[in-house]
Amino acid sequence: MPPTDALSTTLAALADPTRRAILQRLSRGEAGVNELAAPFAISLPAVSRHLKVLESAGLISRGRDAQWRPCRLETSALKDVDQWLEYYRRFWTGSFNKMESYIGTLKKKKE
Amino acid sequence: MTPRLADDELLITRDFDAPASLLFTLWSDPKHFRNWMGPEGFDCPEAEIDFRVGGRYRGMIRSSTHGDSWFGGEYREIAPPTRLVFTWIWDTGPAGEVETLITINFREHSDGKTTMKFHQSPFLSIERRDSHIGGWSSLFNKLRGYAEKLAREQTR
Repeated sequence: MPPTDALSTTLAALADPTRRAILQRLSRGEAGVNELAAPFAISLPAVSRHLKVLESAGLISRGRDAQWRPCRLETSALKDVDQWLEYYRRFWTGSFNKMESYIGTLKKKKE
Repeated sequence: MTPRLADDELLITRDFDAPASLLFTLWSDPKHFRNWMGPEGFDCPEAEIDFRVGGRYRGMIRSSTHGDSWFGGEYREIAPPTRLVFTWIWDTGPAGEVETLITINFREHSDGKTTMKFHQSPFLSIERRDSHIGGWSSLFNKLRGYAEKLAREQTR
Protein backbone atom coordinates (compact mmCIF):
# COMPACT_ATOMS: atom_id res chain seq x y z
CA MET A 1 0.00 0.00 0.00
CA PRO A 2 1.58 3.35 -0.92
CA PRO A 3 1.90 5.81 1.94
CA THR A 4 -0.65 8.61 1.78
CA ASP A 5 -0.24 10.74 4.90
CA ALA A 6 2.24 13.63 4.95
CA LEU A 7 4.61 12.00 7.43
CA SER A 8 4.86 8.79 5.39
CA THR A 9 5.55 10.84 2.29
CA THR A 10 8.32 12.72 4.09
CA LEU A 11 9.85 9.53 5.49
CA ALA A 12 9.67 7.80 2.10
CA ALA A 13 11.43 10.78 0.53
CA LEU A 14 14.15 10.58 3.18
CA ALA A 15 14.58 6.82 2.71
CA ASP A 16 17.09 7.22 -0.10
CA PRO A 17 20.81 7.92 0.32
CA THR A 18 21.02 10.17 -2.76
CA ARG A 19 18.13 12.31 -1.58
CA ARG A 20 19.61 12.58 1.90
CA ALA A 21 22.91 13.64 0.36
CA ILE A 22 21.08 16.30 -1.65
CA LEU A 23 19.47 17.60 1.54
CA GLN A 24 22.84 17.70 3.25
CA ARG A 25 24.24 19.75 0.40
CA LEU A 26 21.26 22.13 0.63
CA SER A 27 21.82 22.55 4.36
CA ARG A 28 24.86 24.61 3.35
CA GLY A 29 22.74 26.92 1.17
CA GLU A 30 20.67 26.88 -1.99
CA ALA A 31 21.95 25.27 -5.19
CA GLY A 32 20.88 24.54 -8.77
CA VAL A 33 20.38 21.14 -10.40
CA ASN A 34 23.82 21.05 -12.05
CA GLU A 35 25.59 21.75 -8.81
CA LEU A 36 23.49 19.18 -6.95
CA ALA A 37 24.15 16.54 -9.61
CA ALA A 38 27.93 17.04 -9.64
CA PRO A 39 28.91 14.65 -6.80
CA PHE A 40 26.75 11.78 -8.12
CA ALA A 41 27.39 9.28 -10.88
CA ILE A 42 23.82 9.65 -12.11
CA SER A 43 22.23 11.60 -14.93
CA LEU A 44 20.67 15.04 -14.64
CA PRO A 45 17.17 13.65 -15.32
CA ALA A 46 17.69 11.18 -12.45
CA VAL A 47 18.66 14.03 -10.14
CA SER A 48 15.60 15.96 -11.33
CA ARG A 49 13.41 13.01 -10.40
CA HIS A 50 14.91 12.97 -6.89
CA LEU A 51 14.27 16.71 -6.61
CA LYS A 52 10.64 16.20 -7.62
CA VAL A 53 10.21 13.63 -4.84
CA LEU A 54 11.80 15.99 -2.31
CA GLU A 55 9.69 18.90 -3.52
CA SER A 56 6.39 17.01 -3.39
CA ALA A 57 7.27 15.88 0.15
CA GLY A 58 7.75 19.54 1.09
CA LEU A 59 11.40 19.00 2.00
CA ILE A 60 12.68 21.49 -0.57
CA SER A 61 11.27 24.39 -2.54
CA ARG A 62 12.44 25.66 -5.92
CA GLY A 63 12.76 29.22 -7.11
CA ARG A 64 10.24 30.27 -9.77
CA ASP A 65 11.94 33.39 -11.05
CA ALA A 66 15.53 32.54 -11.74
CA GLN A 67 16.16 30.41 -14.81
CA TRP A 68 18.28 27.91 -12.85
CA ARG A 69 15.44 27.44 -10.33
CA PRO A 70 17.61 27.12 -7.22
CA CYS A 71 16.58 24.54 -4.64
CA ARG A 72 16.42 25.37 -0.98
CA LEU A 73 15.81 23.29 2.12
CA GLU A 74 12.42 23.57 3.83
CA THR A 75 12.56 22.64 7.49
CA SER A 76 8.88 22.38 8.41
CA ALA A 77 8.52 18.82 7.07
CA LEU A 78 11.60 17.85 9.07
CA LYS A 79 10.01 19.30 12.18
CA ASP A 80 7.12 16.85 11.72
CA VAL A 81 9.66 14.03 11.66
CA ASP A 82 11.18 15.48 14.82
CA GLN A 83 7.81 15.50 16.62
CA TRP A 84 7.15 11.95 15.52
CA LEU A 85 10.49 10.82 16.95
CA GLU A 86 9.84 12.80 20.13
CA TYR A 87 6.53 11.02 20.61
CA TYR A 88 8.27 7.65 20.47
CA ARG A 89 11.09 8.85 22.73
CA ARG A 90 8.58 9.75 25.45
CA PHE A 91 6.61 6.55 24.89
CA TRP A 92 9.63 4.27 25.32
CA THR A 93 11.26 6.25 28.09
CA GLY A 94 8.01 5.93 30.05
CA SER A 95 7.76 2.22 29.28
CA PHE A 96 11.35 1.58 30.34
CA ASN A 97 10.70 3.39 33.64
CA LYS A 98 7.93 0.89 34.23
CA MET A 99 10.18 -1.95 33.13
CA GLU A 100 12.70 -0.88 35.76
CA SER A 101 10.18 -0.88 38.59
CA TYR A 102 8.73 -4.19 37.35
CA ILE A 103 12.20 -5.75 37.56
CA GLY A 104 12.33 -4.48 41.15
CA THR A 105 9.01 -6.22 41.86
CA LEU A 106 10.27 -9.49 40.34
CA LYS A 107 13.39 -9.37 42.53
CA LYS A 108 11.40 -8.81 45.70
CA LYS A 109 9.22 -11.82 44.86
CA LYS A 110 12.33 -13.94 44.47
CA GLU A 111 13.74 -12.94 47.85
CA MET B 1 10.54 29.75 21.17
CA THR B 2 13.30 28.15 19.19
CA PRO B 3 12.18 25.35 16.86
CA ARG B 4 14.45 22.37 17.20
CA LEU B 5 15.11 19.47 14.88
CA ALA B 6 15.76 15.91 15.90
CA ASP B 7 19.41 15.27 16.60
CA ASP B 8 19.08 11.59 15.88
CA GLU B 9 16.92 8.70 14.88
CA LEU B 10 15.58 7.23 18.08
CA LEU B 11 18.30 5.67 20.20
CA ILE B 12 17.78 5.04 23.90
CA THR B 13 20.50 3.45 26.01
CA ARG B 14 19.52 2.28 29.44
CA ASP B 15 21.18 0.27 32.22
CA PHE B 16 19.12 -2.22 34.19
CA ASP B 17 20.05 -4.03 37.37
CA ALA B 18 19.14 -7.41 35.84
CA PRO B 19 20.77 -10.09 33.69
CA ALA B 20 20.33 -9.94 29.89
CA SER B 21 18.34 -13.19 29.90
CA LEU B 22 15.67 -11.63 32.14
CA LEU B 23 15.45 -8.48 30.00
CA PHE B 24 15.08 -10.63 26.91
CA THR B 25 12.22 -12.52 28.58
CA LEU B 26 10.45 -9.26 29.46
CA TRP B 27 10.16 -8.62 25.72
CA SER B 28 9.31 -12.15 24.64
CA ASP B 29 6.91 -13.49 27.30
CA PRO B 30 3.42 -11.91 27.15
CA LYS B 31 2.93 -12.49 30.90
CA HIS B 32 5.87 -10.15 31.56
CA PHE B 33 5.28 -7.88 28.57
CA ARG B 34 1.84 -6.83 29.88
CA ASN B 35 3.42 -5.69 33.14
CA TRP B 36 5.63 -2.96 31.73
CA MET B 37 4.47 -2.01 28.23
CA GLY B 38 3.23 1.56 27.95
CA PRO B 39 4.22 4.71 29.80
CA GLU B 40 2.87 5.81 33.19
CA GLY B 41 -0.94 5.98 33.16
CA PHE B 42 -1.27 3.15 30.63
CA ASP B 43 -2.08 -0.52 31.17
CA CYS B 44 -1.39 -3.28 28.69
CA PRO B 45 -4.41 -5.61 28.95
CA GLU B 46 -3.74 -7.41 25.65
CA ALA B 47 -0.56 -9.03 24.38
CA GLU B 48 -0.19 -12.00 22.06
CA ILE B 49 3.29 -13.07 21.05
CA ASP B 50 4.31 -15.68 18.49
CA PHE B 51 7.98 -15.59 19.36
CA ARG B 52 9.83 -16.91 16.31
CA VAL B 53 11.41 -15.27 13.28
CA GLY B 54 8.54 -14.37 10.96
CA GLY B 55 6.07 -14.71 13.85
CA ARG B 56 3.87 -11.79 14.81
CA TYR B 57 2.90 -10.05 18.01
CA ARG B 58 -0.08 -7.90 18.78
CA GLY B 59 -1.00 -5.85 21.81
CA MET B 60 -3.06 -3.01 23.17
CA ILE B 61 -2.41 -0.31 25.73
CA ARG B 62 -5.23 1.47 27.53
CA SER B 63 -5.51 4.72 29.45
CA SER B 64 -8.48 6.62 30.88
CA THR B 65 -7.63 9.71 28.81
CA HIS B 66 -6.37 8.16 25.55
CA GLY B 67 -8.56 5.06 25.31
CA ASP B 68 -7.31 1.89 23.61
CA SER B 69 -4.33 1.87 21.23
CA TRP B 70 -3.49 -1.30 19.31
CA PHE B 71 -0.07 -2.08 17.93
CA GLY B 72 1.72 -5.02 16.37
CA GLY B 73 4.55 -6.22 14.23
CA GLU B 74 6.72 -9.09 13.08
CA TYR B 75 9.89 -10.61 14.52
CA ARG B 76 12.90 -10.38 12.20
CA GLU B 77 15.84 -11.55 14.30
CA ILE B 78 15.84 -13.44 17.58
CA ALA B 79 19.20 -14.12 19.22
CA PRO B 80 18.74 -14.60 22.96
CA PRO B 81 19.95 -12.99 25.12
CA THR B 82 21.82 -10.41 23.06
CA ARG B 83 19.78 -9.20 20.11
CA LEU B 84 16.15 -8.76 19.10
CA VAL B 85 14.81 -7.16 15.91
CA PHE B 86 11.15 -6.61 15.06
CA THR B 87 8.85 -4.25 13.21
CA TRP B 88 6.39 -2.01 15.06
CA ILE B 89 3.29 -0.21 13.85
CA TRP B 90 0.26 1.37 15.55
CA ASP B 91 -3.19 0.57 14.14
CA THR B 92 -3.97 4.24 14.58
CA GLY B 93 -2.37 6.74 16.86
CA PRO B 94 -0.55 9.98 17.39
CA ALA B 95 2.64 8.54 15.90
CA GLY B 96 0.89 7.71 12.64
CA GLU B 97 0.62 4.51 10.71
CA VAL B 98 4.28 4.40 9.76
CA GLU B 99 5.96 1.04 10.12
CA THR B 100 9.19 1.20 12.08
CA LEU B 101 12.03 -1.20 12.75
CA ILE B 102 13.16 -1.76 16.33
CA THR B 103 16.57 -3.22 17.10
CA ILE B 104 17.49 -4.00 20.68
CA ASN B 105 20.93 -5.10 21.84
CA PHE B 106 21.53 -6.38 25.35
CA ARG B 107 25.02 -6.37 26.84
CA GLU B 108 25.48 -7.95 30.22
CA HIS B 109 28.34 -6.74 32.42
CA SER B 110 30.42 -8.67 34.92
CA ASP B 111 28.46 -7.15 37.83
CA GLY B 112 25.22 -8.68 36.46
CA LYS B 113 23.82 -5.39 35.19
CA THR B 114 22.79 -5.09 31.57
CA THR B 115 22.94 -2.24 29.10
CA MET B 116 19.96 -2.20 26.74
CA LYS B 117 20.45 -0.31 23.51
CA PHE B 118 17.11 0.43 21.89
CA HIS B 119 17.00 1.72 18.33
CA GLN B 120 13.93 2.65 16.29
CA SER B 121 13.75 4.08 12.80
CA PRO B 122 11.21 4.34 9.99
CA PHE B 123 11.02 1.13 8.04
CA LEU B 124 9.53 1.55 4.60
CA SER B 125 10.82 -1.57 2.91
CA ILE B 126 13.29 -4.38 3.44
CA GLU B 127 15.62 -3.19 0.69
CA ARG B 128 15.93 0.21 2.28
CA ARG B 129 16.60 -1.04 5.77
CA ASP B 130 20.37 -0.94 5.53
CA SER B 131 20.39 2.59 4.22
CA HIS B 132 18.34 3.63 7.23
CA ILE B 133 20.67 2.36 9.84
CA GLY B 134 23.42 4.86 10.30
CA GLY B 135 22.06 7.10 7.59
CA TRP B 136 19.63 9.23 9.48
CA SER B 137 21.68 10.43 12.38
CA SER B 138 24.30 12.19 10.31
CA LEU B 139 21.58 13.85 8.26
CA PHE B 140 19.82 15.20 11.31
CA ASN B 141 23.06 16.29 12.91
CA LYS B 142 23.93 18.32 9.88
CA LEU B 143 20.47 19.72 9.35
CA ARG B 144 20.17 20.82 12.96
CA GLY B 145 22.73 23.55 12.54
CA TYR B 146 20.97 24.83 9.48
CA ALA B 147 17.54 24.77 11.12
CA GLU B 148 18.81 26.60 14.17
CA LYS B 149 20.33 29.25 11.96
CA LEU B 150 17.02 29.62 10.11
CA ALA B 151 15.10 29.80 13.36
CA ARG B 152 17.35 32.60 14.59
CA GLU B 153 16.81 34.48 11.36
CA GLN B 154 13.04 34.06 11.53
CA THR B 155 12.71 35.24 15.11
CA ARG B 156 14.89 38.26 14.46
